[in-house]
Parts: sequence; structure tokens; C-alpha cells
Amino acid sequence: MPATAVDTVPSLKDKVSPEEWQTRVELAAFYRLVAQHGWDDLVGTHISARVPGTDGKEFLLNPYGLLFDEITASSLVRLDFDGNLLHESAYPVNAAGFTIHSSVLAGRPDVECAAHTHTVAGMALSAVEGTLRPVHQKALRFYNALAYHPYEGIADDPDECARLQRDLGDHDAMVLENHGLLTCGRNIRSTWALLYNLEKCCAVQVALEAAGDGIIELSDDIKQNTYQQFQRTLKNNQSGGSKLDGWESSLRLLKKQDPSFLH
Amino acid sequence: MSVTAMSVPTQPGVRDQVSAEEWQIRVDLAALYRLVAEEGMTDLAATHISARVPGPEDHFLINPYGLMYEEVTASNLVKVDMHGEKVMESPFPVNPAGFTIHSAVHMARPDVQCVVHTHTAAGMAFASVEAEVLPISQTSMYFWGRTGYHAWEGISTNLDERDRIVRDLGTNRALILHNHGLLVAGPTIPAAWVMIFQLERVCKTQLEAMAAAKASGRDLALIPADVAEKTAKGFDQTLQNAADGKTNFDWEAHLRALDEIDDSYRH
Repeated sequence: MPATAVDTVPSLKDKVSPEEWQTRVELAAFYRLVAQHGWDDLVGTHISARVPGTDGKEFLLNPYGLLFDEITASSLVRLDFDGNLLHESAYPVNAAGFTIHSSVLAGRPDVECAAHTHTVAGMALSAVEGTLRPVHQKALRFYNALAYHPYEGIADDPDECARLQRDLGDHDAMVLENHGLLTCGRNIRSTWALLYNLEKCCAVQVALEAAGDGIIELSDDIKQNTYQQFQRTLKNNQSGGSKLDGWESSLRLLKKQDPSFLH
Repeated sequence: MSVTAMSVPTQPGVRDQVSAEEWQIRVDLAALYRLVAEEGMTDLAATHISARVPGPEDHFLINPYGLMYEEVTASNLVKVDMHGEKVMESPFPVNPAGFTIHSAVHMARPDVQCVVHTHTAAGMAFASVEAEVLPISQTSMYFWGRTGYHAWEGISTNLDERDRIVRDLGTNRALILHNHGLLVAGPTIPAAWVMIFQLERVCKTQLEAMAAAKASGRDLALIPADVAEKTAKGFDQTLQNAADGKTNFDWEAHLRALDEIDDSYRH
């Protein structure tokens, strides 16, 4: 197993609640999955999750300076919404990451996890005027349900929080114009699936807009019905805890490939 | 370096309950799932690859729903009938709605052993533009004039759509599911692998060529019809040879490559 910078970080497994530990494991896995897909940006961008049992007032973020494939359950840092680090860490927190993630989590009590990327396909889509085109099955998950936020420079101005919250509204996915993608969800696994699907939609749109003048448009009925079908599935998943999205399978595969995220 | 099967959810005992012939199909189909995953052609745990089980029963093998393709193995594949109902005990769920497209093809085309359906970015992009497969590369001749096109009707819950899928596929070897994704219908599992691998590349190539032509204002260079037809007939013969058991496309080489990565698909 490759040695990581965090082998020196003491394990928090027996020092935090089992619920917090599970959240840390799944959030570390999310970072590893993003790295595996090549959707990371060196040490940039962030994925956050609320700490269970803190009345929603504390959240976990990556230790700034580690690559995503080095991040582990114990090295994630715990913060409050004033930006206070709640335990000792050898690593700092990134100001822009704090702004974006604290805005989303503070503004949306229904959300447990938020993810943000700077992928090529995501940035390319975000750099073209217009919106995600509702022209295939996957894009209809986001039909009339994708938010857009204009770029204001590196997000280190706390005043941007209110505008991020306003633009996100009650959506669970947002294009950060000239910047990248953001998804948020009721749990870590659904936020990962959303990010995966939004990323793929961007790759599709960039390819088809470059190639085609003749895009096959869909009827309003198909668009509305398909969006509603996705919403019903989402509601079932949230109430029943779907095991059919591949998340447990992905965790087992990560463990087999490199179990260091479990540290 | 080979990784053992220890952490993969296999179903010990299945090997003893099925014929040697079915077990071999299970190993090959599990290998195909792994190859598709290796090529990055998956969509989390969605989409399916199915194979017909030998015998008169119209039974098929499909993935245990909820597992990533990298965890599919010979023993955890689920045996179902044409309605997607399990015909052999399995702790894993199946996705009958997802199987609708597959059963339509299997029931209409006894010459087809294996059906692969994908939601890749290039496949979805190609399926969302009004383009047919053009004779612009040697590889494209695998599918030129041998591909059907099916209009999307929304997420499939309507069994009537089977008739329209069968009509649109006809005697073709591939079906572009508009606004949705790709499908290939192979005479054997190794042939289906080669076909989905090549159709994906055909879509990527044509999208890039179309983008370059559009940006430069120049035309796509189409291969003359007589040359195109000659080349396409060569591929027809190759697939006929596969159907007749005369070629398996060096399948063992693909299995060796998989064994190097992770041989758990064999369990």
C-alpha cells in the first residue's frame, strides 16, 4: 500500500462518535472517487459534509495541501460556520473553500454534503453562455432544476455567501459560471451520484455542441415526465435508502484497491 | 499482480448448480462487464449487459443490480426469464425495467447471444444529434448501413416499446437509442465486446470529425460507396465467422489482461 502523508495523523476512530466516523470514512471515499475519475484539481476544490450530532452546526472539509488520493477519514478537519478549527490539525483550511461550502451548508439545512469541482468539461460548459440542454435522458434529471451563479473572482469575500445561497435556491446542483460545478444532497452517496451525472452531462454537451447543428430536441411532455420520474426515484431513495446506486460496491472496491482512506 | 476474490460478493455453489456450458458463459459475461468497466464505459451501477443461456427455456443472465461492474462475477450474475423475473435463487435484485430493451432484442433475434447497452458521454452525445454513422473511417464500416435508430420515448415503462425497438433494430447489429445511449447485439460475447468497443470509438471519431469539419468549414471526406461496401462486407464475414465459432477475437488475450488486474470475475 502506498505510504501517504497522513500516516502520521493519529487515528480519530475511537475519539469521535461512530456516526461521525462513518461520515468521515464516506467523505474520504468521495475524495478518492473524484481522484480516481481524474476530476480533481491538484489540491484545489473541496467536498464537505455535516458532522452528525452537532445540530447541523459543524462540518468536515479537506486538510488543505493534501492531494485527493491522500485524504483519509482522520485527516479531514472539523469546522464551525465561523471558520473555527475545532481540533488540532497540521493542515490549514482554504478560505475560498470555506466560503463556498459554509454558504451551501448554512443556507440549506436539508443538505448534508456539498461537492465542487474544476473539471475540464465542467469549466468548458460553465464558460459558454446558455444552459444545460435538455436533450437526453441524463440531462433531464436537471431539467429546470439547475442553478447558475456568476463568477465574482476567487470566492474569499464573505459577502458572496448571500449571493451563492440566493442563486442555489432549493436546487441540488449549480453551475458556477466561468469556474466549475457544485452539487449538494441529503447524504454523501446522493451528492456523489449527482456530481457524477452532472459531470457526464457537461461532457455530452461539449461534444454535441461542437459537432452538431442538428440536435434532436425532445417534446415538453417527455421532458416533464422524465424529470418527474427522476424526482419519484429520488424520493423513494431518500425514504428507503436505496442500495442500488453502487455506493456500497464503490466503497468495497476502494478498500480493495487502497484501504488507506479508512485511516 | 493478481488480487483475490475475497472481498467480492460471490455466490458459492452456483457453479455446481449450472451446466459447464452455462458456467463458461457466466465467466465470459462477467469478463465483459469488467472490460467495459476498464474502458470507462460504465454509468455507476446503471445500464446492463445480458447473455442468452443455452437451451430452449429463453433464460438470460444479467448483472446483480446495485453492484458496480467491477464487482460482477460468474456466480453473482442473475438468471432471469424474458420478463426479467428470477428463475434461479439469488440474494441480489434485478432491474426488470432495465431488462425490457434487452429482452426485446433477445426474443426477436435468436442469432444474438449478447446485448450491451451503454450511457457513455460520447454515446449519449452521438445519440442526441441527427447524424447517422458515416463511412469516414475503416472502423466506421463495422456499423455503416448496419445500424438502426430508435426515437426516445422517455424512461421505458411501456412494454409496447419492445415492438418499436425490434422494428428499429431490424437485422442490424447496433441500435442508436436517440437522446439516450448505445446498444449492440452480438452473435457471441467476444463479438459483443469488440462491437461495443468499436461503436464507442466510431461515435467519438465521428463527433470529433464533425466538430473539425464544422470549425474549418471543410467537408467530411466520405469513403466511396463501392470501397465502403467492400470493407463493410469484410466485417460482415468476420461477425459471421464469430457466429460459426471460427473466431473468438483472441478472447483469451483479453482474459489474460483482466487476470493481471483482478481475476475475481472468474468466481
